[in-house]
Amino acid sequence: MNNFSAALNAYIEQVREWGQREVRRAGLEADRNGAPLPPDHPYFAAYVDFRRRHPVPADDGAVPEGPAVRMAAINEENAYWDRGMGVAAPGPGLPAPIVTAAGTPEQRERFLGPFRGTDIPRWGSFALTEPSGGSDTAAFRTRATRTDRGYLLNGAKCFIGNAARADWVLVQANLDPEKGRAGQRSFFVERGNRGMTGIKIEKKMGLRAYESVSFILEDCEVPHDNILGGERPERTSKSSAYGATMGTLNTTRVGVAASAVGLARSAYDEALNFATQSGAFKSIRVRDRLEVMYRQLRAAWLMTLRAAWKADNRIPNIVDASMAKVFAAETAQDLASAGMEIVGLEAGAGHHLVEKLFRDAKALNIVEGTGQIQRIIMARNLVGLPR
Amino acid sequence: MQIARHNRHGRLGVDFARGEGDEIIAGTIGRFAADELRPRLREFESARTVSESVRERFAALGFETLDLAEEAGGAGLGLLARVRTNRLLAEADAGAALALDRFAPAIYVIEAFGGVEALKSRQLNLGQSDLRFALVMDPGAGDVAGARVAGQVAWIPAAGADVLVGLGPQGAWLLKQGFAFEPVGGSALHAAGASSVKFDGTPILAWHDPVRAAQALARIRVYYASLIWGVLSDAAGFSRSYALDRVAFGKPIAHHQALAFLIVDMYVAVERLGLLIEDAAVAIDAGEGRAVGAAAAAFVDAIEASRFVGPNGVQILGGHGFMRDFPVEKAMRDCRALGLLAGGCDAAREQAGAALAATISERIAA
Repeated sequence: MNNFSAALNAYIEQVREWGQREVRRAGLEADRNGAPLPPDHPYFAAYVDFRRRHPVPADDGAVPEGPAVRMAAINEENAYWDRGMGVAAPGPGLPAPIVTAAGTPEQRERFLGPFRGTDIPRWGSFALTEPSGGSDTAAFRTRATRTDRGYLLNGAKCFIGNAARADWVLVQANLDPEKGRAGQRSFFVERGNRGMTGIKIEKKMGLRAYESVSFILEDCEVPHDNILGGERPERTSKSSAYGATMGTLNTTRVGVAASAVGLARSAYDEALNFATQSGAFKSIRVRDRLEVMYRQLRAAWLMTLRAAWKADNRIPNIVDASMAKVFAAETAQDLASAGMEIVGLEAGAGHHLVEKLFRDAKALNIVEGTGQIQRIIMARNLVGLPR
Repeated sequence: MQIARHNRHGRLGVDFARGEGDEIIAGTIGRFAADELRPRLREFESARTVSESVRERFAALGFETLDLAEEAGGAGLGLLARVRTNRLLAEADAGAALALDRFAPAIYVIEAFGGVEALKSRQLNLGQSDLRFALVMDPGAGDVAGARVAGQVAWIPAAGADVLVGLGPQGAWLLKQGFAFEPVGGSALHAAGASSVKFDGTPILAWHDPVRAAQALARIRVYYASLIWGVLSDAAGFSRSYALDRVAFGKPIAHHQALAFLIVDMYVAVERLGLLIEDAAVAIDAGEGRAVGAAAAAFVDAIEASRFVGPNGVQILGGHGFMRDFPVEKAMRDCRALGLLAGGCDAAREQAGAALAATISERIAA
């Protein structure tokens, strides 16, 4: 690959055109409203139509880049226009690869099938984080108990993306706490389940375009068929909910890194455009600051692409993925903050895009493993930091 | 990473694979550095040169002209191959790496101005194994082609040379006579020697061409940045190993989170630098318009990484790091000194900023 292929570039061009025309505007609308656009907002139907006309390149060889590099390229462009709207996009979302990897054939058809070929916006959701902690995934308190009628789920989840509008939420719970992580399984909780209560859409500093939902599971009963992988899953690493979840997070870290690069590029462009139009670019100090920003952006993108390239080539990339995630997330925050400074009081007035990017960026160093967690992962691999 | 190139959207595509040839070169250079240079680190430093036998063994490997164009008598493998080689040599000893390169980066100036053929007519044969070049930065170079040049430079990491090359923003010159090396103590890179240089003579070759001067400087910056990369890579790796052996409060100091995170951040700084250097080398090899800016940025990044990794390499070893028993104090000095070359950090930052300005002009034009 000497360059992104013409096929991938052509797809990115479509994403760019869509982003410029619709996504940024929708993201700003949600930000101004202080709440996600409602599920019946025309944007989402238009999005579904866009995706039907321009499906994400499949693994059919039409786009020669591997899936991870493809994902990185697309995520980066999406996040350039609005990271929040990317998360709010209709679709099965984060659980899709988990269900594909660990679900039974019936579950794949039942829960992912409705997303295929539909013109109705639908969402799936994945509930991992709990109020008592997000990073220590092995210490969940949500419990599952088997009964003759199904499973009873009890516990609480928080900051769950799109959960209030989702057709189903894939909930992580522990069926056998004595086994620790090995006891964890995932359960489909379908919309309208009376045991899913206290649903609260959080008010956030940034990334307001998508729902972050907290809810309680109170004797939330789901049928036996709703346990991911079936009641007696085949003994593969993928059939463990914990294994499937962690495997997915290792992959999606690169995706988050790419999104952070996209957001950072957006902040850089805003700062550069402002500096050019205002004449501030003539100041050596401003120019130096932009040079530092550009260099950091470039390095973050190279790190992200390398981590993705390794994934596609089946080269171990745990350190690369964590490095890309933490560095790109910190880059997004640094560039948005520096962008605020270059734009100055215009940014302080609260109307400028760079101000929104500054609020949006912080989350990227928190979601899917904080910067500290990424450093711990790297330290385990580099110096054998004990667990 | 073979090729990284902006496409029309300013996006880049990357292939990070290393070919079989890359691996063979890396293996050969790595073994040479580990067997011949590393064990004699302090010996060469004290002697202020590398031994003749080591010089001969290095020459026999055939990597001297690795990156020179084939028409210039080189292997034509490009700057990317050179920076990877430099990194491995500098991981052992950056001063020795400089001592072993008899062309220094001066050859990039001659090559950029198309002067390799002209050397032959001046009775200068690159194949002559004892012919050594040295480079000085002369702000006035190229202002008046062919005129007498004079000046002095307080320090270069070399003990002497047969040909002195001067490079400035407007052009370059080449002196065969009319210069003198005076030994100085030197802050670092002692295996390469340390001299002040006075020059006052008429160049046998002189060029006025700011574009080519910038291209030459770009290669020189990446060359020195790659040596810094090697030094920092070793400093980070050595201090990491030490932190795993050294026990305090009942466990390896690397397992105290403050140090674990510091080690991680040092690792990231070195990786980040390596990516930017290779990216710049690829841009130069491909003749991309962004090459000059990318090279300047890589050089600045090398200096900034030096400020972080160099002192912290010492810090992790505590009092031991301050002693000459361990190589981290040398690494701290070497990387700092390397960053003073090629015109230094501020000039590079200026050029990287100017490259951004050019990008803006292109955007406006588009």
